[in-house]
Amino acid sequence: MFRKAVGHIISCKDASRLVSRREEAPLTAWQRLVLRLHLSVCAACTRFEKQIAFLRDAMRQYRQ
Amino acid sequence: MAAADLSRDLEPQRGYLLRVARLQLRDEALAEDVVQETLLAALAGSGFSGKSSLRTWLTGILKHKIVDAIRKKQREPTVAAAFGDVESEMDIEDFDAMFNERGGWDPKPAEWGNPQDALNQRQFLDVMDICLERLPPNTARVFVMREVMELETDEICKELTISANNLWVILYRARMALRVCLEQNWFART
Repeated sequence: MFRKAVGHIISCKDASRLVSRREEAPLTAWQRLVLRLHLSVCAACTRFEKQIAFLRDAMRQYRQ
Repeated sequence: MAAADLSRDLEPQRGYLLRVARLQLRDEALAEDVVQETLLAALAGSGFSGKSSLRTWLTGILKHKIVDAIRKKQREPTVAAAFGDVESEMDIEDFDAMFNERGGWDPKPAEWGNPQDALNQRQFLDVMDICLERLPPNTARVFVMREVMELETDEICKELTISANNLWVILYRARMALRVCLEQNWFART
């Protein structure tokens, strides 16, 4: 219950923005923490995170 | 590598270079020009060591030619207007359609299974091309600069005179749009 509450300090919308921004620049300690907590309780954002990583691999492949 | 061998190996790379240049410049004639210059520079130079793939090496040359072309375009006011204004593609609120009023996914991202398998399929790269072409022009340009040409974010900001924050928003939008496009046109079929 507590974990779930902490995980939702940020919304999925905010989490998705952090996942994207992390590709360009390191997040702050606070951003890393809230994102990690969110991902630990959110299956949809975990899926999104994997898809963004895949997109990066796919673009690398596109170049090869 | 002898010059004759090199020129024979360059020809098959032409299509790929043109695709990247078109996405970047959205100008058929100019894209042809930069690809031409890239191939000439590749033939004239002896920079190819065989350590990286030929395509990676050519992408490096193309990157410089495209940056030059963008610089030249920005100096010509009439063309710069047609080139589009990056700010107009900046509205992040468009993608709020992906979320409900509480900031939750709506719809939720689908399960893609083992997406890595797609990478070995020629058709997948074709779908990727279509999805990239569907992006708004400046969004595609910034995304390709970042993910295909691997420019650093501060280089991109400098070339396009946009702020880091604008850049993050544009890249976010590009990823959201590509994600949805791939999901609908590739992963949903399996």
